[in-house]
Amino acid sequence: MVGRCAAEAPVVLALCLSVPTIGRVSIAPDTPAAAVSDAEPVIVARAVAKKFGDFAALQGLDLEVKRGECVGLLGPNGAGKSTFIGCLYGAVLRTGGDLRVFGYDPAENPRKIKERLGVVPQENALDEGLTVMENMRLYARFEGVDKKAALPRIQDLLAHMSLDHKKEAPIKTLSGGMKRRLAFVRALLSDPEVLILDEPTTGLDPAVRHLLWEKVISYRQAGKTVMVTTHYMHEAEILCDRIIILNRGIVVGAGAPRALIDQETPGFVATFGHDLEEQIKAELQTGWELFHQGRQCCVRAPRIDDLLALQQTLGATALQLRPSNLEDVYLKLTGRELDDND
Amino acid sequence: MTDEFRTSFQLAWHVVVRNWVVYRKDFLANISPTLADPALMLTALGMGLSPFIGEIGGLSYAQYLAPGMVATTALFTAFFESSYGFYVKMTFESVFKAMLTTPIGVKEVVIGEFLWGYIRAAMMGGTVGIFLLFMGLLSNPWAVFAFPVISGLLAVPCGAIGLLASAMVRNINQFQTVYSFLIAPIFYLSGVFFPLGDRPVLSVIVQFSPFYHGVRLLQLSAWGQWHPGEIAWHLGLLLAFTAGLGYWAYRKVQKILTT
Repeated sequence: MVGRCAAEAPVVLALCLSVPTIGRVSIAPDTPAAAVSDAEPVIVARAVAKKFGDFAALQGLDLEVKRGECVGLLGPNGAGKSTFIGCLYGAVLRTGGDLRVFGYDPAENPRKIKERLGVVPQENALDEGLTVMENMRLYARFEGVDKKAALPRIQDLLAHMSLDHKKEAPIKTLSGGMKRRLAFVRALLSDPEVLILDEPTTGLDPAVRHLLWEKVISYRQAGKTVMVTTHYMHEAEILCDRIIILNRGIVVGAGAPRALIDQETPGFVATFGHDLEEQIKAELQTGWELFHQGRQCCVRAPRIDDLLALQQTLGATALQLRPSNLEDVYLKLTGRELDDND
Repeated sequence: MTDEFRTSFQLAWHVVVRNWVVYRKDFLANISPTLADPALMLTALGMGLSPFIGEIGGLSYAQYLAPGMVATTALFTAFFESSYGFYVKMTFESVFKAMLTTPIGVKEVVIGEFLWGYIRAAMMGGTVGIFLLFMGLLSNPWAVFAFPVISGLLAVPCGAIGLLASAMVRNINQFQTVYSFLIAPIFYLSGVFFPLGDRPVLSVIVQFSPFYHGVRLLQLSAWGQWHPGEIAWHLGLLLAFTAGLGYWAYRKVQKILTT
């Protein structure tokens, strides 16, 4: 994304204030796209519905996840992300449609699925009274990991997550970031084929977040499949080959992050204070869009030069001048972006 | 089918192991109340009241009371573990949220809780039995071998009542109501403290309490009374309650743990 933006207009790079530094994490897909598109699907959802009483949490969800893919589920709170994740391993029983994971129906054969699935749930749900090792030994047992293989496996994973110095520490003495890393260790104990991450980095500091991203990426390099729900667009862009945006229990957009941006919100965005709104309206050209984010007034135009010219006309410098990003797509598709008529 | 049974049992056993690992962390605090209560009761009521009450069917009051103490331990062990204990694991500690992402399912969670209830009650009932033996309160000393088995059998349906309560209460305080209106009457009126023989109405009502059948089996063994017909009746009903309440509890817990 950064590379492309730089190639198009070098000046933009300096202005790309909203694109966070990617740091140590590579954003290049680790599995060749062609290999993924030919792979068998591990998750197939057709018109999956879930009602809680009168409330329809999922209203006919269609999606497919192929082996080796990393798919991000985005959507506002209550969009149905966690409900769908629960459906995948039988914790939530769907009320309609068809769902297959590894070819099995999770409502009928959850164990067959859970044997091959690792889940990091939204809550860590670790046994607080027990130590790190006691927790992991128990879970290795639950997952059916051979007794002899369990100890080296646990030790490897703890070292991998920089937790090996905490082996004998009771869970209640760990920090939030450590507990989250331990929940990752727990999910990986059985070396699952598919890893499900439900808001894996919510509430974590950037260092831990980067560490977890690296782990997910190295896990993917081993050819594993990942499904992740998140509210962080940057996280989705870094980790996922494909994004699925949910709103009110249905899929409202799907595709590779870059393709989604090019399709839904192509171009560049300039953000101004709301006091300039009337002047901006007067300058709007065909193909431009005016919308609001909070109390700020945003203009989307196909070319960066359009926005640079607009700045000159207005005699004002934009608060932010950047290429369109996944957040724009998200806000547009979930109806959170208020257009000029709202 | 046998494979499925074996796998399911193994997974349920993991739940027992998990409970044991947590339990042994606080071993003393965990065993004290369930052992101290019957010991106190036996001292206060058995030793204290014996001289005033005289004999009941040829037994001193302390001897009459003795098997009931084994039953008491089993009842409270099972009920508190499956009500407060299970509820805390389910809500405050979210233990099952993570556990159910592993091959363990709700069926195995419930079977594991019952197995754990059986084992704990057997341990506690057995310990109380040995204490009674040393106090010279068992007319039939061999009963110490029957106590763990019967305590466990009694604990499972009582544990099922606790699980049902866990699945039905809206908050943890409501267990107090379950205790006051269900467990306490069952406890006080099931023949632990006085014989029911000449109370026809109560004698019929208690047939609906699994606790009563457990108490009777413990009493028959402690007093060395070999009545095959009566044993079969109580054992049969105890097993029927175990099956019925156990299945009902499983369905209720399944509804709570899967949505």
